[in-house]
Amino acid sequence: MTAAGTVARTRSVALSVAWRSVHNAFHNPAILLPSVLFPLFFFMAFAGGLSSVQNVPEFDYRSGYTSFQFAFICIQSAAFGGVFTGFAIAGDFEFGFARRLLLAAPNRSGIVAGYMIGAMVRWMFVLAVVFSAALISGMRIDGSLGHLLALLVLALVVSATSTLWAAGIAMRLRTMQAGPVMQMPIFILLFLAPVYVPLHLVAGWVHDVAQLNPFTALLETARGFIAGEPTKVALSAVCLVAMFTLVVGWARGGLHSAERAG
Amino acid sequence: MTHERAIDVAGLVREFKGGVRAVDGIDLHVAAGEIYGFLGPNGAGKSTTVKVLTTLLPPSGGRATVAGFDVAREGAKVRASIGVALQDVALDPMLTGREHMRLQGGLQGIPRAERARRGAELLDRVGLSDAADRRSKTYSGGMKRRLDLALALLHNPRILFLDEPTTGLDVQSRTALWDEVERLARQEGTTVFLTTQYLEEADVLADRVGIIDRGTIVAEGTPAELKAQVAKPTVEFTPRDAGQCSIAAAALAPFGEPVAARRDGSIAVRLESGADQLADIVRALDHAKIAVAHLALHEPTLDDVFLAKTGRSLEGAADGGTAEEIAPPRRDRVAA
Repeated sequence: MTAAGTVARTRSVALSVAWRSVHNAFHNPAILLPSVLFPLFFFMAFAGGLSSVQNVPEFDYRSGYTSFQFAFICIQSAAFGGVFTGFAIAGDFEFGFARRLLLAAPNRSGIVAGYMIGAMVRWMFVLAVVFSAALISGMRIDGSLGHLLALLVLALVVSATSTLWAAGIAMRLRTMQAGPVMQMPIFILLFLAPVYVPLHLVAGWVHDVAQLNPFTALLETARGFIAGEPTKVALSAVCLVAMFTLVVGWARGGLHSAERAG
Repeated sequence: MTHERAIDVAGLVREFKGGVRAVDGIDLHVAAGEIYGFLGPNGAGKSTTVKVLTTLLPPSGGRATVAGFDVAREGAKVRASIGVALQDVALDPMLTGREHMRLQGGLQGIPRAERARRGAELLDRVGLSDAADRRSKTYSGGMKRRLDLALALLHNPRILFLDEPTTGLDVQSRTALWDEVERLARQEGTTVFLTTQYLEEADVLADRVGIIDRGTIVAEGTPAELKAQVAKPTVEFTPRDAGQCSIAAAALAPFGEPVAARRDGSIAVRLESGADQLADIVRALDHAKIAVAHLALHEPTLDDVFLAKTGRSLEGAADGGTAEEIAPPRRDRVAA
């Protein structure tokens, strides 16, 4: 088979797997609802319940607390969408459907790519819901359309990265009991970033950890895009490229592990 | 049938953690267009062999080619040439039959227009047209098997692997599946590698049979050759008048050595020249004016073959048993 033929077959596999992932999400509320309700709940709880944080003297985010929290929810929902996809991958292995994919796909990397694309499409639906809710609740956007598109790209890469991370675990352990192993590191990284207040208002050891946490840069960049004041874009890009490269290797190792296990 | 080899296996080994050898150095060859029955009890190594040949598991040793491609180094080409229906049907309960076809077509890289046409044609062939738009979670066990078979055939594979395809099916579904397998091999020239623990299935369907036990092939050949290796047919005769037993025994003596009969008041003889003697036996009994109450021909079964080769009966062999203590496995091969 030619290189072009291999690419076409891999693309066909990826699109088919992505189609199934999206199809099942929209035909099964048990899959779709958690991925929509969690971000909505976080958004309402944080942006509503903690809105007086913006009255703190050194809170200097110009677009307001709702926008400040929306940026976090955007990154958080993208990351957790990937983890939810990891659960689905683990389920496919546990209940045997993954064998159909492994047997039919000439290039098995296309399977992982398909799960990743499916996660991104599903996340965009979640984003549309949360974005609408944010606009209704008075979110201010000072950034341009270009800034918003940049935010979208950033969050999509977060979604892809977290999907590959979760896929690596799902394909190594091949059981849905691996859920906490996928979820916990993402949860810790997210909540050890400056979620509620800007970094300079975070104190103690959490501040020290947040400074080293790559998600801090991602959050600050996302907030900068909404405020129309791009911040730490280069650092975020480097962090994303590094994390994405690492998880590509991690997912590839997971796929080989699944292939060895049959 | 051509003599081109569709499957070629030499010294294949698959070892799991802890040193357990599920497949322990098997050799087998399947010709193109042949139905090869892989017979053995649960845990004998049938499914592991299929998983290695279909690239689901890498081999630990030895060599195997399927459709001319090495399973260890040319997995993608092997997968493009084969269709597989595994023992555990791999269906998504959320997808309908038609959606499964669409997904499978995409995975196989079949052009979109052809996917729909071929999918509908196969759903019709396996009798699922009416249920095509129902989710597979509503299907019966037999319907799931039929859908799985249709999915395996979507890309017109040259070689079809069926891993215990009729386990758990009712008689009607089993017969329908046998008919379809036979049609695929005889009319379309598809090579079929069929694993089964049912003696009758292997006997009825397979051109050749390989019997596997504890990871090694203990016998291989056509069902007739294998049965001829271990036993000759017996004829059992019950006279209407019990007093004619001794006359009947004398009339049957020229046809072979007497053996124990299964029914009281009967005489059984092992036929030295095979079942072809049956007509002569009837003539001899008629000539001796003996009225017949019951006459039966008992052919040796593949279970007799398994028993002879392993010291155990196939039924219940998976329970473990002590084959080595009773009779050490032999490796005999009959030239095809």
